[in-house]
Amino acid sequence: MDEEYDVIVLGTGLKECIISGLLSVDGLKVLHMDRNDYYGGESTSLNLTKLWKRFKGNETAPEHLGVSKEYNVDMVPKFMMANGALVRVLIHTSVTKYLNFKAVDGSFVYNNGKIHKVPATDVEALKSNLMGLFEKRRARKFFIYVQDYEEDDPKSHEGLDLHKVTTREVISKYGLEDDTVDFIGHALALHRDDNYLDEPAIDTVKRMKLYAESLARFQGGSPYIYPLYGLAELPQAFARLSAVYGGTYMLNKAECKVEFDENGKAYGVTSEGETAKCKKVVCDPSYLPDKVKKVGRVARAICIMKHPIPDTKDSHSVQIILPKKQLKRKSDMYVFCCSYAHNVAPKGKFIAFVSTEAEADKPEIELKPGIDLLGPVEETFFDIYDRYEPTNTADEDNCFVTNSYDATTHFETTVKDVLALYSKITGKELDLSVDLNAASAAESEAA
Amino acid sequence: MAGTRRAEEEYDYLFKVVLIGDSGVGKSNLLSRFTRNEFCLESKSTIGVEFATRTLHVEGKIIKAQIWDTAGQERYRAITSAYYRGALGAVLVYDVSKPTTFDNISRWLKELRDHADANIRIMLVGNKTDLKHLRAVATDDAHKFAEAEGLSYIETSALEATNVEEAFQLILGDIYRAISKKPVASDEGGAGAAGGVKEGKTINVAAGDANSEKKQCCST
Repeated sequence: MDEEYDVIVLGTGLKECIISGLLSVDGLKVLHMDRNDYYGGESTSLNLTKLWKRFKGNETAPEHLGVSKEYNVDMVPKFMMANGALVRVLIHTSVTKYLNFKAVDGSFVYNNGKIHKVPATDVEALKSNLMGLFEKRRARKFFIYVQDYEEDDPKSHEGLDLHKVTTREVISKYGLEDDTVDFIGHALALHRDDNYLDEPAIDTVKRMKLYAESLARFQGGSPYIYPLYGLAELPQAFARLSAVYGGTYMLNKAECKVEFDENGKAYGVTSEGETAKCKKVVCDPSYLPDKVKKVGRVARAICIMKHPIPDTKDSHSVQIILPKKQLKRKSDMYVFCCSYAHNVAPKGKFIAFVSTEAEADKPEIELKPGIDLLGPVEETFFDIYDRYEPTNTADEDNCFVTNSYDATTHFETTVKDVLALYSKITGKELDLSVDLNAASAAESEAA
Repeated sequence: MAGTRRAEEEYDYLFKVVLIGDSGVGKSNLLSRFTRNEFCLESKSTIGVEFATRTLHVEGKIIKAQIWDTAGQERYRAITSAYYRGALGAVLVYDVSKPTTFDNISRWLKELRDHADANIRIMLVGNKTDLKHLRAVATDDAHKFAEAEGLSYIETSALEATNVEEAFQLILGDIYRAISKKPVASDEGGAGAAGGVKEGKTINVAAGDANSEKKQCCST
């Protein structure tokens, strides 16, 4: 380990592994270490034994739950937007060859005490109880506008500069009702709060387009895909990419300590009495606690069940969005469910997660609206974890700290953070725009 | 496996096999000798090696072997659990001239038992038999160990191409006989990953990306 590297990466969370993979492909010499004996860091997937150890201490998991290693329980539950940024990164790096995905069966939204399927087709939209008949016509006009909108084509703008007018202004032009606005903003554009209403409409329109494109991509019941064996497969896939391009991996390295010179610049990392030198350090917040600040908390429940979530038509994988207005809170709540169909649990078992930005100290009480949707539960684990953001200036100390994972149910913010960090580290932008078209073209040829 | 297309060549079964063992025992050269009949004398740790495939006949069936190398992650014991996903066979390699690499086989076996499917077929390989005067692990000792652990066993030299073909025939035959015994529904293109893909179907996120293997650095 007494060697010199361009970059030392600490923590094998998804963000850190993507960075490690990208830098290794660029030809940088990368050393990647983690204090744990597994990949994934805060974003790992745990088997039953590790899950029990983490949440229940020294107890042993009950036998009726089945074989430990058949569990891959995500600590940061998210689905991937099928046309989203993470898919683009996967394709750009060819990491897809290490992974298998399935479409997520359904996406639902909570409204007036019931869950409703987020319409996946025109026909479903017409049948849906989420909107009345006249409202459907108004919404349809708005959807067509969004669908036809092209940034480069002024004609499609219909006189609106979406970089200036707010979302609220666009919506009022189409005369949509509050419930519809709420549905569009939270179930389609996937906003967690209502700040978007007073911001330029371009972001919401882009998000709606992403949702529609993701829905169309694999023509599943939802816009999401999910890897077999759980989300920890993702950091492992990027770690392998890094290794294939020369990255060095070390797990189970206790006490990775970043070393600073007299000018406060990082020059290496010491672990187990040896120091590896480097020009830059990339790490998750837990490795440099002095250089991060708390920006919020996520409340989370993990539930093991032996049935699908009621009223989801026996879906093996679903997302349910509980918009904040329905719950009278500041942030949306999310329910995420996957199952043995994704090799994350033994046959017949389902894993459900309820999460939201924490606004209180008792997750049992705060998460109740989501948990009530699950039906009978065999085991429940509750947790609140802090979210951190870096406070340092990388130019001054050569440290590049990732943000913690938020409560969103997809990876768009994750990839945005990664790309921003990659730009800071390398001084260049990653161009992901071409790849998806190429992949689609290849797919067309194959068909 | 997602992304595998039958159009490339006809085969009856696709078997994923993983190579494991200490750094420097010759895993990559076993792979390149078997799949491309190449041997690289540079002793660098594995870089740029992915997996490689070769199609051959085993007991009358056309088997496409997809053999995965560690990409060097075993050097500091950082192989991903994902590496073992869906592997039907494992090739446990040690160096006959280095007793430590044989002593560590027990640890690699434990790793397999922790992460791989319980039914994975395992073959023990003593490589570098060309180093006759440096031999430090007796054939008998390794054979006894293999018998005690229920492993197949063979000695090879990737450098001299001794028994390499035979070794892979051995593990692929083991796998074929194991899957022939039990009634499993075959996916398109042969037996699916161990444990298989359950309800629904996997989707191909990047059509056309399959089998973009890296080139090795030199050949005989």
